[in-house]
Amino acid sequence: MISPSLKLDKISKTFPGVRALDQVSVEIKAGEVHGLIGENGAGKSTLIKCLAGIYRPEGGGVKIDGVEIEPGRPSVLYKAGLRFIHQELELVPTFNIAEQVFLGQEKTAFLRMDTREMHRALRHFFHETLDFPISSTALIRDLGTAARKLVQVAMALIDGQAKYVVFDEPTAPLPSREIDILLRAIARLRERGIGILYVSHYLNEVLSLCDRVTVLRNGKAVDLIDPVLPHCGQQMVRAMVGRDLTSLYPEKPKSFGKSFFEVSSLSIAKSFTDINLHVRAGETVGLAGLAGSGRRALIATLFGEMLWQKGTVTIDGRAKRFKSAADAVANHIVLLPGDRRHSGLVLDMNVRDNINLPSMEAVATLGLENRRKACERAHDLIRALDIRPKDDTAFARNLSGGNQQKVVLAKWLARSARLFLLEEPTVGVDVGAKSEIYGLVRQTASTGAGFLISSSDPAELAGLCDRVLVMVRGQIVAELSGKTLNVDQIVAITTGAIAQDSAQGGQGHLAGGTT
Amino acid sequence: MPVLFPYMRQILSILPLLTFLLLLIYIAWNVPNFLSLSTLSLILVQASPILILCLGLSAVVIVGGEDIVSGGIDLSLPATAVFAAGTMAYVLSRLEGSLFLAFLAGLIAALGIGALNAILVSGIGLTPLLATLATFVATVGFADFVTDNRRINVNHPFIIGLRDGTIFGVPWSLFGALLIATLISFLIHATPWGRHLQAVGGGRDAAKLARIKIRPKVIGAFMIAAACAFITAFYVLARGSGYSPGVQDTLLVEMVLATFLGATFSPRRVVTVWGAALGAVLVAAMDLGFKSMGVNIFWTGLIKGSLILFVVSLSAVSRQRG
Repeated sequence: MISPSLKLDKISKTFPGVRALDQVSVEIKAGEVHGLIGENGAGKSTLIKCLAGIYRPEGGGVKIDGVEIEPGRPSVLYKAGLRFIHQELELVPTFNIAEQVFLGQEKTAFLRMDTREMHRALRHFFHETLDFPISSTALIRDLGTAARKLVQVAMALIDGQAKYVVFDEPTAPLPSREIDILLRAIARLRERGIGILYVSHYLNEVLSLCDRVTVLRNGKAVDLIDPVLPHCGQQMVRAMVGRDLTSLYPEKPKSFGKSFFEVSSLSIAKSFTDINLHVRAGETVGLAGLAGSGRRALIATLFGEMLWQKGTVTIDGRAKRFKSAADAVANHIVLLPGDRRHSGLVLDMNVRDNINLPSMEAVATLGLENRRKACERAHDLIRALDIRPKDDTAFARNLSGGNQQKVVLAKWLARSARLFLLEEPTVGVDVGAKSEIYGLVRQTASTGAGFLISSSDPAELAGLCDRVLVMVRGQIVAELSGKTLNVDQIVAITTGAIAQDSAQGGQGHLAGGTT
Repeated sequence: MPVLFPYMRQILSILPLLTFLLLLIYIAWNVPNFLSLSTLSLILVQASPILILCLGLSAVVIVGGEDIVSGGIDLSLPATAVFAAGTMAYVLSRLEGSLFLAFLAGLIAALGIGALNAILVSGIGLTPLLATLATFVATVGFADFVTDNRRINVNHPFIIGLRDGTIFGVPWSLFGALLIATLISFLIHATPWGRHLQAVGGGRDAAKLARIKIRPKVIGAFMIAAACAFITAFYVLARGSGYSPGVQDTLLVEMVLATFLGATFSPRRVVTVWGAALGAVLVAAMDLGFKSMGVNIFWTGLIKGSLILFVVSLSAVSRQRG
């Protein structure tokens, strides 16, 4: 007799040009919490989607308690006892908890719904199974995030037929003080003999919760950590990151000018708190952090798109307050946004007009565009940045990702910017263009400009930046530079494998047990 | 703002209702016998056609969500009722009073418009506001075409009965309205199907995740609404002792006002079937009050229009704060 388990057996999936999953096998035993970790793009979500039947794997199979399950049939999986707790918290805000939990699985008696029975069953479930007493008549819109997450759990488990539950990044939307509520509930489910696949970026949670952990890297299951012990954090990070650093990055300078841009105690409720940072002339500062760490909000704030509530921003020692992006640009702060195709460029405009757009007054005579000046300026920048094709009348839409990024850079260079805010500067850009963009960043910095680069690619941050600030749940928890600036450290701190005590970094210590 | 007025949201959400009650108190103060039993009965009878339209509209608003612009609304319902009334009056006047044929023709006319709305919204993907505004105009034109834009007298015993008949002193028309309200309330608030309807309106993505099929719910709501318009057609015929063109405009204003006013009755401040029905009664009471006070008819229209704006913008404002 085999012991009951959910078995993913040699799952493979290829997208055009990419081997997303390569014979990945994971076995989740009944009554264990099995962690699934890996960097962005390692194949975690692809694996979950193959399991859920959203993607069709080319090879491999799924077995539940030894029974082969036909892939791609969500209803069959549901009947077999496999449930998913999705990342998104999609609930009906005007429903009460009982109405939400039984949505689509209402209990009825003679045509009409048996409201009393549903409320009773719900209270029982929350009390007995989750150990989280709750009023079944509370409205969803009045609940906190953790309670909403538990409502999602109840939806999946209330029928009592669930054997295996997949949690996809369940704590990502939770404020830190509510995480324990969810982790306790998951531990309760384990006691009830339910097998749990726990997908997460947060290694400290994985360390404290999971019994075994599978590590994915580049579509392969590279490590199985069994059993998980408190000191396994470094092992996980090593397995996630691997070792392949290339000479993609330009050399770093030895010295910098004086600090011209300073931020102190900057806060916006629910986004980030007490942010302190400075940028020196000629310096590139990186900003690391998972989605939801407050990285995006911080960049948006420094560019005047969000108003900060507390704290100060000073440029050359003078306090500034930005009410709009125009204020930021007037102070020579510019943004190269993550979605350059939408907010960085006017796609249906040619390269010349895109470059001159923010500095029209410089190429105008008596308020009208001076065609000759505009062309000269565009040509100068196209030559300087090696934008291809070398044609100022080409439409921005038709350029490659790397060249589009150069055009965005060019239009701000034309405005003599001093602080460049970059968001995901090389997403969707091929390797060759990447190294060119890195070169341009360095070249521009050497003229005395400063860069603040927000990126989810730790290799990029470690390779390109002089200093990297790591954000976790709205706070800068570490500053890495010199010897401490490497990929392992960035990953370890962003994921919480290493807890940071002070805001000014250092080595930190390994998180063990419950934190 | 939230610090200064901690109860701002609650106050805002009951403000429309308060305004209305103050208005009614003012009317009761000025109109003798306004609070008598006979007046109450008259109000209820007057409210019946609007009430049934409101039941239909509440189904559409519930499935589409309450956002005034992108949510569910069916502006064409009054026109559908008038069109069905015109069709029935026409058939009754031509075919020697065959009620069955008239019934059939009216039903087909109403459900046809309902199906058209459902296709425009669910199939083509127009916003309900735009789609049903267009069908409103088209349906009025169609009704004018069928009836030659003329009055058609109807003296069929069934229609006369609906106007004058009583059981134990209670008018037939009231029984009818109550029956329909109970039926639709059961369907929407007590069955799983109705719960799914609410889920689609309250959170479409959440409904999808619960494996609820969206399209049949949207189509169903528009068909329920059309069926309500069909029943309203009988009331329209009974009240006017036949068909007269141009009734749809007052019906439209009062229907929208009553339904959204009704949302303030529910503890969750959402549109419900019984809330809409109560709203219809309040609107009818106000209407009768204005008439008894001899308020100029133009003023009445202006006041009703302003009240709609008031109710609808307040619901939008209180949602933003939520």
